[in-house]
Formats: sequence, C-alpha cells, structure tokens
Amino acid sequence: MFQFNLTYAPGGKEVIQAAADVNQGEVLVVSAPSGTGKTTLLRILARLQPALNGQVFLNREDWLDIPASHWRVLVHYLAQKPALFEGSVADNLAKPFTIRVLSEKPFLANKAKALMAELHLPSHLWEQDARTLSGGEAARLAFVRALLIEPALMLLDEPTAALDEASRQAFYAVLQSWLRQPGHAALLVSHAEDYQLNNLKILKLSAP
Amino acid sequence: MNETLPISDIQLAFSVLLVLITGTIASLLRLGLLKSLVWGTIRTFVQLTLVGYALTYIFQWNNLWLVIGVTLFMAWVAARTAVKRTPNVPKYPALLAFLALLASTYLVGSIVSIMIIAPIPWYAPRIVIPIFGMLLGNSMTGIALSLDRLYSEARARAPEIEALLTFGATPWEAIQDSLREALRAGMTPTINSLMVVGIVSLPGMMTGQILGGADPRLAVRYQIVVMLMITAAVAIGCLLLVGFSYKKLFTEDGALKPFLLQSRN
Repeated sequence: MFQFNLTYAPGGKEVIQAAADVNQGEVLVVSAPSGTGKTTLLRILARLQPALNGQVFLNREDWLDIPASHWRVLVHYLAQKPALFEGSVADNLAKPFTIRVLSEKPFLANKAKALMAELHLPSHLWEQDARTLSGGEAARLAFVRALLIEPALMLLDEPTAALDEASRQAFYAVLQSWLRQPGHAALLVSHAEDYQLNNLKILKLSAP
Repeated sequence: MNETLPISDIQLAFSVLLVLITGTIASLLRLGLLKSLVWGTIRTFVQLTLVGYALTYIFQWNNLWLVIGVTLFMAWVAARTAVKRTPNVPKYPALLAFLALLASTYLVGSIVSIMIIAPIPWYAPRIVIPIFGMLLGNSMTGIALSLDRLYSEARARAPEIEALLTFGATPWEAIQDSLREALRAGMTPTINSLMVVGIVSLPGMMTGQILGGADPRLAVRYQIVVMLMITAAVAIGCLLLVGFSYKKLFTEDGALKPFLLQSRN
C-alpha cells in the first residue's frame, strides 16, 4: 500500500538512498546507526522537509497529487519529542480537530479515554495541564492523539524511548491492534530491538 | 504669548555647552562614546539645518506631487531602517516593509488630513509632512518589532508549528499563535503610550507646539489626534507586514523552512 524510493542527504553530507514497499498491516523498521538520517527519512515522508529526488506512492497515488495538508494527516509523523500545546490533556487530544482539514471529523472523547486506559494513562490526567506530564506520559498522549486523527500510515520516531517496560508493552499492544485494522501500516525508528510486533520488515539505510 | 521666541545663532551655539557636559561624562567614565557623540552632534546640526531649508522650499511650493515624492522617500528610508532593526530575521526585502508602511501611512494620513485637520489645500505640506513623519517614525518601530517577533516566535514554536502541520494545518493555521504574538509585540508600545501620555510623558510634538507659543488646549487636541492616528497606522502596518511575511517562513510544500528548526539528528 505504501511505496517509496528516495535519495536525500541528511545534514547535507553523504547521499542516502532508501526504498521500500510496505503492505497493509506491516511495520517497516528503519535500521541504521544513529546520525544516518532515520529521522530525516520519516520527516521527508511526512513532507516536513524535501528529498533530493524520488517518488512516493500511497495506495498507488503519487504523493505530489495529494495536497500537503491532506498528506500529512494520511501519512502522520509522530516526533520523538512530541509537541504539547497549552491547555489540558483533553485540549491537546482535541487540538487536531480545530484544524479545518479534520474539523468535519468528530472528536471522540470516549475513544480517547479508552486508548489512554489501554496505554496505562490514568483517567485523572484528562483535566491536567499537558505541560506537566512526564516524558513517557507525553509520548503516550501524543500517540493517542495520532490514533484519533486516523492516519493510514504512522511514522513513529523512537516512540518507546521514554517508556518503561510495562508502558512499552502496552504501546506495542495498541499499535499491533491498530495495524490489524484494514488500510493501516507503520514505519518505525527504534533503538530498542524488542519490537514485540508481527509482520516486521527491516530497512537498512545505506549510501547508493 | 502666542509667539515663538526666536533662538539666535549665538544662543544656538550655547546649546553646544550641553554637549560638553555629555562629553565630559563620556570621557571621564571612558564610555567609548565620545566619537559617536561628536559625530552625532555634527550630524544633528547638518541634517536638521538641511531639513529646515528643504521644508521651507517644500512649504512654499505647495505642490501635491512634491508632497508625494517627499513622503515616498521618507517611507523608503523608514522601510530600510525597519528591516535593519530585526536581528532575528535573515535578509528581508525592504520593499515589503515599504509597501506595508506606505499603505498604512497613506490611509491614515489621508483620513487625518482630509477629514480631521482639513487644511486648504488638503495636501498642505506644512500639515501633511510632519504628520507623515510621526506616522512613519512610529510605524517603522512597530513593524520592526512585529517582524522580528514573528521570526523569533516561529523559531521558538517550531515543534508546535510542525505538530499542527502533521494535523493537516495549512501554514496560515499553523502560524496563528506566532502571528498573534508578533502583532501584540508591534502594537503594545503604542497602546501603552496611550495609557501614560500626559502623566508620565509629555509628547514631543505637544511640547514643541507649546514651546512654539501655541495654546496648550489646542496642542492637546492635536496630540490626541496624533496619538490615535499613530495607533491606527501601527496596527495596519504591523498587520500588513506580518500578512506579507508569514509565507516566507514556509517552503512551497507548506513545511517550515530549515533555518527555523533547531539542529537535530
């Protein structure tokens, strides 16, 4: 469902080529030593920065035929240190639905609460100021927010880096069940090699 | 009492004594300001003398095109100065600042000249040029503050802006908070000055009029008009420039430009 073939130069240094074909339900793990452009690859795929050249297709549609604002919802990038906004946890979860592209979708508070519970985020956090959350809580909150906007493809940048073992397992369980729904796939950058996921593919980055 | 007391050449020369006071302080404390002080004093004399002659001519001619030419020149200098006062902004086209200043000061200046002060003719340079000077001076500071803040906010909020982009926000939607802060930064000094005028500060124009022999009650009326027109011009100028500028923060594909992002792996 998702194909890409790109060349890019992270940090303006050596040129890297990356190509892969991801089927629905699959996770493509991007593997490379640190500083070799894994984050850059995810950001390029989210159209947050340009590639040198190449092509990307989502469900056989060329990415350039899709407006960037729609693309970024469909192919959704979750930063390693996710940005939280002023306001409560609930405000942060509802934030995407204030954007015009998503404003026709309802904000499903009950679904959000259920996902929080699955990710071991206690319900009393709902009204709490989001900027008082710990790193691990913030990472899971951002994951819930990403699930609510219902992308087709998730670009996950070190999503478990700030999580303890129990939260990590909960994270992978939620991700796995999301992947089982039709039309979903993910790219994952992670240092910890305990993915706890089915349908893994590995992409090793290298110079062409 | 309604007469300006003249200042003779000798009396003017005495004012140089005041520079000696400043110069003594600067040299005793080794502030390293002496050269700037001397040069600044000379420039003050030369520039203002030239302006005095120029204004005398311009007032005599009373020609609409001349007034337009002079105000365009003033706006261009103000635009050049404004874009130089923005340490957070990489090279910025003075033309955009010029257009923002021009639109705001011409709109407000025309309203004031045609509807409020209403001299005959309406473009009387004796009225219009000082008005433009005040409008441009304040708008210049305002737009410089706004522009600088827009860039520094975009840099500081880059993670939030990018998060909004990943929610499908357009650049316009993603930059809203930074825009608002930029406008506040540009307009706050002017609005604050509305609060304290007459109590903490006696504005230069009003003081000048009173020194020039005008009735303080009339000087106050002029000052009220001036304060309000400056506020309006600053608001419009900031709004226009920020509106012209926000797209420069984004690539054609609507992503934040790399220079706004902190270094990352």
